[in-house]
Amino acid sequence: MIWLAWRQHRKQALFTAIGLALLAVFMVPTGLAMRHTFADLGLDDCVRALGTASMIPADADTCGKASIQFNGQYGVMTLIGVLFLVLPLLVGLFWGAPLVAREIEQGTHRMVWTQGVSRGHWALVKFGVAGAVALVASVVYGLGVSWWLTPMSQAGQHGRFNIFFFDMQGTAPIGYTIFAVALGIFAGTVWPKVLPAMSATLVGFLGLRIALTTLARPHYLPARVLTFPVKDATEQTNPAAGDWILSYGIRDASGKMVTANAQIACAPDATGPGAACGADLGITSGAYNWQLYQPGTRYWLFQGIETGIFLAVAALLLYLAVRRIRHVA
Amino acid sequence: MDIVLETDQLGKRYGRAWALRECSLRVPAGRVAALVGPNGAGKSTLLHLAVGLLRPDAGTVRIFGRRPYDDIAVLSEVGFVAQDTPLYRDFTADELFTMGARLNRRFDTALAHRRLAQIGIPRDKPVGKLSGGQRAQVALALAMAKRPRLLLLDEPVASIDPLARREFLQALMAVVAETGTTVLLSSHILADLERTCDYLIVLHASQVKLVGDVSALLAAHRQLVGPRNGGPLPAGVAHVVRAEHTDRQSTLLVRTNAALRDPAWKAYDVTLEDLILAYLGDGDSRSHAAWEVPA
Repeated sequence: MIWLAWRQHRKQALFTAIGLALLAVFMVPTGLAMRHTFADLGLDDCVRALGTASMIPADADTCGKASIQFNGQYGVMTLIGVLFLVLPLLVGLFWGAPLVAREIEQGTHRMVWTQGVSRGHWALVKFGVAGAVALVASVVYGLGVSWWLTPMSQAGQHGRFNIFFFDMQGTAPIGYTIFAVALGIFAGTVWPKVLPAMSATLVGFLGLRIALTTLARPHYLPARVLTFPVKDATEQTNPAAGDWILSYGIRDASGKMVTANAQIACAPDATGPGAACGADLGITSGAYNWQLYQPGTRYWLFQGIETGIFLAVAALLLYLAVRRIRHVA
Repeated sequence: MDIVLETDQLGKRYGRAWALRECSLRVPAGRVAALVGPNGAGKSTLLHLAVGLLRPDAGTVRIFGRRPYDDIAVLSEVGFVAQDTPLYRDFTADELFTMGARLNRRFDTALAHRRLAQIGIPRDKPVGKLSGGQRAQVALALAMAKRPRLLLLDEPVASIDPLARREFLQALMAVVAETGTTVLLSSHILADLERTCDYLIVLHASQVKLVGDVSALLAAHRQLVGPRNGGPLPAGVAHVVRAEHTDRQSTLLVRTNAALRDPAWKAYDVTLEDLILAYLGDGDSRSHAAWEVPA
């Protein structure tokens, strides 16, 4: 049975391998180049010195100049990187959806289900082979992209905890890929034709991904609040902390949000242009900086939760798919 | 007499429509049985129930006394060639046989190779590139290599040309003669059945209309020609299957239960085709009602 599943799907496995190889051809040289530049600019040592605390002293070097230089050179890479977000979906569309749908669409299920192997066994082996290939591909992909993105994340602009960047590295892509394959398989048992199954996979995948990312992920654990003064600031936020900042702004003494999406820190004896620090922005005395965030130290925990949710949904879908296969004809 | 396939009040429903209902029949061992009926009569449904692809909604179907849906082990005794002979089109015949050998406990790869060699079908070409007739032969070889005691074929020759059809049926007959396998073959090409089958099942509008040994059925039916409204039916007529009337005479296809001796009626032997058409033309009162036209 494993022989059959492999023989049927080896072409797709080959295409997957070619896809990964092409990805490596792009990522390895650019990744190495980024690392070289990163080290040449002295960012390695600078970032290490910053540590991972959320707040650092106001006079600490935030590696700003080198970071800007680095991001100016490699900023376009992050755009290319966002394209990688669709890869798990592609695996679901081209591995998962046809797995059962094509058999039923072409009628070959009537041949293979009347040999000496039960449908349950047939389904488990097919799912196993598809799942194993998807797993290998997504592990390679997840770890590879993590390696590739590290300098960009450390340079501060796109922390690995941020939306999009969180989604394309670590273990999360493994969860997405297995989920996409399971969704495709299940859709194929409900709509036993390849194109409807692919459409359903597309809609279902994007739906759950977007819903979880925007509605659920910020609340996997209660977010923390950080406040620090506008005036007489002795501390500033650490760009290397890798915190996921959900929202931030400046509140007045009563706690009312005065200026959203802004952060001001004035040194003890600083003044603004012709006035007290921040007066032109409506900042009054007693105002303070406020931010709601998930600390960077929770990154792997959140990766685990995200992956776990998608793997659990995938397991449920596969269970339902096996049940349906036992009952459809 | 061994019974290979037996159904009892078997029914299958799709939504609210019955595709097959109250189907009770037996196929004895060693027969080549024809399953005949128009499209949509329930032939494929009956075969799919017999091979465990479908679960009955009513009644039972048994193969060698076992229920195929619940007991798939019995499938090792059954060869099945589904409609349009579905095969993995990118597989070569050799690869399909490898698949058969890996999916079945008993699989005679050498037999399959020998059969294809006899008819000259390339074993190393993807079956999607073979002709329809060749593909049907590969499907038959794949089914026969299981050395089944029952072979089920769902319209195996419907989509291939007449020459390939004859070759296919010849191949089938050769296999049957060699192995003694019981065959149940659905078709709506009546001429083919006359040459190949010795047992007949007529399905019409989801119900069994006629079952039995072909020669016994032929012996038990007569075509009667007599004057229009020629008075009472002759003694020996069990019932009239179909009646046609012109201005001057009536033509009846009747089932008999004794010899007919009435000089007013001329009796003729019937062919298998006459018999099948008479039972299929029996009228489908339900569909007439559904269309709201008089039967």
